[in-house]
Amino acid sequence: MDDHQLAGTLDAGPLAAKTPVLDTVTTEVAAVSGIEVDAPLPAVRLQGVTKRFPGGRNHDPVVAVDDLDLDIRDGEFFSLLGPSGCGKTTTLRMIAGFEYPSAGSLQIFGQEVGLEPPNKRPVNTVFQSYALFPHMTVAKNIAFGLEMQQLPVDEIDRRVAEVIELVQLQGREGRRPKQLSGGQQQRVALARALVNHPKVLLLDEPLGALDLKLRQAMQLELKRIQEQVGITFVYVTHDQEEALTMSDRIAVMDGGRLLQVGDPEEIYDRPRTRFVADFIGDTNLLIAEVLDADTARLYDGTVVRVPTGAPAGSTVTLAVRPEKLGLWHADAERDLRLDALTGTIRRVTFLGNAINYEVVAGERAPVELVVRQGNTPGIEHFADGERVRVRWLPGSVAVLED
Amino acid sequence: MSLTDTSGASRPLVADDSVIRPKRGVERLLAGNAWLVFAFLYLPILLLFVLSFNDNRVVGVWTEPSLRWYRAMITDSAVLGALRNSIVVAFISTVVSTILGTAAGLSLERFRYRGQRTYDGLLYLPVIIPDVTMAVMMLLFFVQAFDLLGAMLGVSATFGIGTISLSHIAFNISFVAVVVRARIVGLDPSLEEAAADLYASRWQAFRRVTLPLIAPGVAGGALLALTLSLDEVVITSFVAGPGSTTLPVYVFGLVRRGVTPLINAVSVLMLVGSMLLVLASLLLSRQRNTT
Amino acid sequence: MAATVDPPRTQTPTPASAPDEPGLERAAEQAESRRGFLIGLPSLLYLVVLFALPLVIVVVYSFATRSRTGRTILADWNLSSYARLFDPLVLEIGLRSLWLALLTTVISLVVGYPFAYYLATRSPRVRGVLLVLVMIPFWSNFLIRTYAWRVILGRDGPFVRFLEPILGTEGQLLFTPFAVVVGLVYGYLPFMILPLYATLERLDFSLVEAARDLHATGWQAFWRVTWPLSRPGVVAGSILVFIPSFGAYVTPEILGGGRTTMIGSYVVRQFLSARDWPFGSALSVAILAVMLVAAVVYFRTRDREA
Repeated sequence: MDDHQLAGTLDAGPLAAKTPVLDTVTTEVAAVSGIEVDAPLPAVRLQGVTKRFPGGRNHDPVVAVDDLDLDIRDGEFFSLLGPSGCGKTTTLRMIAGFEYPSAGSLQIFGQEVGLEPPNKRPVNTVFQSYALFPHMTVAKNIAFGLEMQQLPVDEIDRRVAEVIELVQLQGREGRRPKQLSGGQQQRVALARALVNHPKVLLLDEPLGALDLKLRQAMQLELKRIQEQVGITFVYVTHDQEEALTMSDRIAVMDGGRLLQVGDPEEIYDRPRTRFVADFIGDTNLLIAEVLDADTARLYDGTVVRVPTGAPAGSTVTLAVRPEKLGLWHADAERDLRLDALTGTIRRVTFLGNAINYEVVAGERAPVELVVRQGNTPGIEHFADGERVRVRWLPGSVAVLED
Repeated sequence: MSLTDTSGASRPLVADDSVIRPKRGVERLLAGNAWLVFAFLYLPILLLFVLSFNDNRVVGVWTEPSLRWYRAMITDSAVLGALRNSIVVAFISTVVSTILGTAAGLSLERFRYRGQRTYDGLLYLPVIIPDVTMAVMMLLFFVQAFDLLGAMLGVSATFGIGTISLSHIAFNISFVAVVVRARIVGLDPSLEEAAADLYASRWQAFRRVTLPLIAPGVAGGALLALTLSLDEVVITSFVAGPGSTTLPVYVFGLVRRGVTPLINAVSVLMLVGSMLLVLASLLLSRQRNTT
Repeated sequence: MAATVDPPRTQTPTPASAPDEPGLERAAEQAESRRGFLIGLPSLLYLVVLFALPLVIVVVYSFATRSRTGRTILADWNLSSYARLFDPLVLEIGLRSLWLALLTTVISLVVGYPFAYYLATRSPRVRGVLLVLVMIPFWSNFLIRTYAWRVILGRDGPFVRFLEPILGTEGQLLFTPFAVVVGLVYGYLPFMILPLYATLERLDFSLVEAARDLHATGWQAFWRVTWPLSRPGVVAGSILVFIPSFGAYVTPEILGGGRTTMIGSYVVRQFLSARDWPFGSALSVAILAVMLVAAVVYFRTRDREA
């Protein structure tokens, strides 16, 4: 089956047919909210969504999700990223219908579904534990949702066969989940959800149980399938690399709150808060004093060109990735296009594909930062105690909001 | 029993569990104890088996093997009547308590509501209460209930199969619930969520996913209820009416008067019966572990 | 629409949510709770009517009066049945029950602990088989298993004949406290073995290795690591053996004699022959009290260990 064919079957799917009111809803919402009329309706819209769990006897309720506003666009691969307990899974479970929000509005393609039971929502879930029915064969597992919707038998058979091909499980239809490898179980879970042609597919850390190699392969596979079927994917993960690799956009969460939403480059290169900068990748956090709208000064006197957005004299935190920094001998020529700082190497750590240099600059209030140099041919290696100049492009430094 | 480490003794360096596995001497003591325990558990049963085939009227004196006492047993109308009662009571109490116990297990494990802890405690009491106490409770309850029925409705009820069954259900609900709950606890809650996510209504999710998955537990609970009902003596003897004794109550009456070869034969029948039930439930639990 | 962190607020009903106000989900969750309660309701009603209510009736009866003819008069409420619990005869029976139950518990523990340890240190395969071998007699008819000991310990049984040179021709094993304890241990030993096995099997034996690594001898490692960690199993097993032994009726009735009457038999006698129901009820309440104390001890220990 080629991509066109599949896209065709999905478009003509029964769920699309089931919601002919879609267009009117679009205009209604658009009219009320003042959004441009031709702006596409978001696949999922959360407004002021809050979830409190009872805190047990004599305890305050635990706020798992705190006043969340979020739009997930139709057709995108959207990741909810954050440490465990940040509220990302609770958010996903609210979209799926396994938890009901304590407050706020939850819409799927413009329809309010916050208090609908899961079986009344046009979404399907790939569970972290896969949750494959152990007493059913692969084919029966996949057909379950279609049988519940009472589709004709021949259509069920056709769609099951299609999706089995899509996830490349041909020949395994008669097996029980226990007889499959972890990766195969993962594919069954995916197929079981996709076969229903959901409007939104929810994935709760689906690759968590797989080993590294398989996980990487499945990341590409998931991305391929998502592009092929064109369904909105909402993907929960605590693995920042995974989120960066697969997502069109990422929402970073912590403590039940949304910290930043953006595409992977935005999130990585221009983190807005200390938490985001720290959680995703390695980063150097530098305290600086604002000189004017375009410059700030580090403690050792180095002047950094950066759009500060803060009044002169105030203190800001700057974030810069170790690999955005270049390392040169202290007597290297000046380059006016680059900002630079002179310091001493205090420690060298060999990482295999790269080398980390810890550099200290200044004396009374030393500035410490890590410079990562790729271990590529022709790159000069430096030694402990050497005087060096660290240089970077002004655009690679971000100002944090906290 | 000396478990003391003789540190001077040479220790083999091969096995990686040599540290946690006791020393050879201790190991021997443990193994010896284990075999003595098994002998203790099985020899009496074995002896009963052998003696039931003894032709002699005196139990302790062996003459020759015969089926004489089994023949006597299957023509003894009292034994057969008691057996019939036992089976009827066991059937009724098993069916009812399996349904009620499973519902109780689901209610307690899969939902949250106020007063649950009290319910939980009430459900555990019949498991640990001594049978004599339960027997007294049942006796007094039915006496009072009959008084009430007679005074208010003019209905005269008596002790019999009905009262025995009601009493057996009262303790079997709890045992079934314990077994079923163990199974439910081991069930990944996301399986039911998955069913709901895949458009199953509550009833469909229960029927197609939950029930098939807890079925081994339900069957295990039913077998336990069956066994307990077939074995029960004390409570039954308190609430049995004339002509409604069960087999264990009948045998208990005989045993108190002395040892006879007929009792041996009936005993073997009952032992074989309960062992078949054990084997069935073990097979079930094996299946439980594989699914 | 570019900024998605703060999408324009619409007038879609977004109820203002004060933190202490019940959330939107409340109605749905209440419906869910109600559904769960209704599923459990039939069994709950059954237990209330046929277990809790009878329990109350027994307590009520224990304060009633017995007429000369043996009828129970549900009036003239008094404590005389409880006062009789302190009669020397009754106290003797109570203390004997306590003593025999304790003896049974200790013997079961001494025999059962090494047995469970042996089981838990076997390979999983062997373990499974041995466990089945323990379960089979455990599930077999209790009355019959006790009866078997009557045959064994009886006059023409193998034991008495074997021990004749020692005991003499007048010697007898049946109808002695010894016979009763043997019968109780036989009946309830699996109650000790199974919880012990459950805790020992789950025990992380690398802790023992750690203790040995830290220079403990095997004996020290056992006492300082294995034993404390297996204590929940010890407590659970002991209570599970103690409670039914204390209230035992069938075993002393079959294997014991006049001088080994235990409290269970004494209760039954009040109902089936002496026809003193108030006193029998008071005795039952006393048994319940002992049982509840044991249960509280158990739950306390379990919660503390957990």
